[in-house]
Amino acid sequence: MRSYKKILKTELKLSLRGMDMLIFAVIMPIVVLVVLGIIYGNRPAFEGAGYTFIQRSFGGLASIAICAGGVMGLPLVVSDYRSKRILKRFKVTPISPVTILLVEVTIYFLYALTSLVTLFAVARIFFGFKMQGSILQFILGWLLVMVSMFSIGMMVGGIAKNSKDAGIIASILYFPMVIFSGATLPYEVMPTTMQSVVDILPLTQGIKILKSATLNLPMERVLLPIIVMTAIAVICSLVAIKFFKWE
Amino acid sequence: MEDVIKVEHLSKSYGNLKAVDDFSFSVKRGKVFGLLGANGAGKSTTIECVLGTQKADSGVVSILGMNPTIHRRELFEQVGVQFQETNYQENIKVGELCEVTASLYRNPEDCNKLLKRFGISDKANVLVKELSGGEKQRLFIVLALIPSPKVVFLDELTTGLDARARRDVWQILAKLKADGITILLTSHFMEEVETLCDEICILKKGKPVFYGTVSEAVNQSPHNKFEDAYLWFTDEEVVNNEIL
Repeated sequence: MRSYKKILKTELKLSLRGMDMLIFAVIMPIVVLVVLGIIYGNRPAFEGAGYTFIQRSFGGLASIAICAGGVMGLPLVVSDYRSKRILKRFKVTPISPVTILLVEVTIYFLYALTSLVTLFAVARIFFGFKMQGSILQFILGWLLVMVSMFSIGMMVGGIAKNSKDAGIIASILYFPMVIFSGATLPYEVMPTTMQSVVDILPLTQGIKILKSATLNLPMERVLLPIIVMTAIAVICSLVAIKFFKWE
Repeated sequence: MEDVIKVEHLSKSYGNLKAVDDFSFSVKRGKVFGLLGANGAGKSTTIECVLGTQKADSGVVSILGMNPTIHRRELFEQVGVQFQETNYQENIKVGELCEVTASLYRNPEDCNKLLKRFGISDKANVLVKELSGGEKQRLFIVLALIPSPKVVFLDELTTGLDARARRDVWQILAKLKADGITILLTSHFMEEVETLCDEICILKKGKPVFYGTVSEAVNQSPHNKFEDAYLWFTDEEVVNNEIL
């Protein structure tokens, strides 16, 4: 535990020194929120809707940090630490290299949490945001999306041949998801054909859960997304554990 | 005197390539053991199999009476390791790397004292990547010494250093030896080996072609200088086999 805390403190410092996660996971979602807020204000999501545009977008915005940390941050740091043989160095100490992986997961969890809290505060103060559904349901959904996205990242980082491959795969996963899954560009403005295409992105399914929880829509409607996200989490975790390359 | 490191019949292949082939050696307490050989002769593979970071195909390894795979936690409280290319985070500072390393052990040495002892205490707030070659190697020795180890493994510690920095490192190692620490090192510098090592083993294609002291190596060869003897051992396979 002492080692975990010390490594967490140092890795957090290193991560903040790098700045990229602060930008992609904390600042970017706020910028998107403010832009959407300025354009659509407190207007209803559509004519006669019982919720505002911002309320409908909140789930997506809250998933940006999860996506950035899970499929960009994690794979890059894991493959980087493997190629720098930092994981291997841990193998010749009393502490298992799993500790440093847990530390990285904690760091991206903290980014996602920071993003959620700041989004909530800004949305609430400037755009009168209110959670219509159950906060507990939202948090559970948010955790499920996180476990699922992080397991994808751990799998990619764990089995990619090198940092370059991990970077390419991370980009292929991150950019389509952050743009087309409804995290930034609202899902509802897309044509139906496009919606059915972007439905294959895991994050699109995850955002449906978060949206449903925010807007207090019946949860039965997101049963399929819940199953999909759980399946992704289980499969990717198993693959990551089974095929993880320490060096 | 007891064997601190004991390796028996170690073998390791990568596909068809026999990286280490039935290699046995032992190092007694407080001694410096040098593992020599050309690049690809099996030195690093041997060290990795001994430490348990690579799984040997066969053979028995014990360090301080423990199996490095089974008693990993207990053993590595007392063993310091420096790998060939050392391994640190891109933007980490000297002080941070030392503190994190210290946090891994139950009874670590005082990092600041160690940094001071090795003359780099003014570098604690400098990024590791900005250190000079000699400073980096001294830092890596500091890291290997943080657990206050009984044994240290140093893989090509002085490669890439200039003559001055190399001499400084030798002095440091001589002091460690005087403190009673057992050292296993690999090196390409024969002068270094002559100065530091009590016993050496020369590997060629994963097999030991000489095992003994530096003066024995010279005596067994037709040469007067150790460097020539070393080259003779690594080149003349047929003659060697006759001698062994």
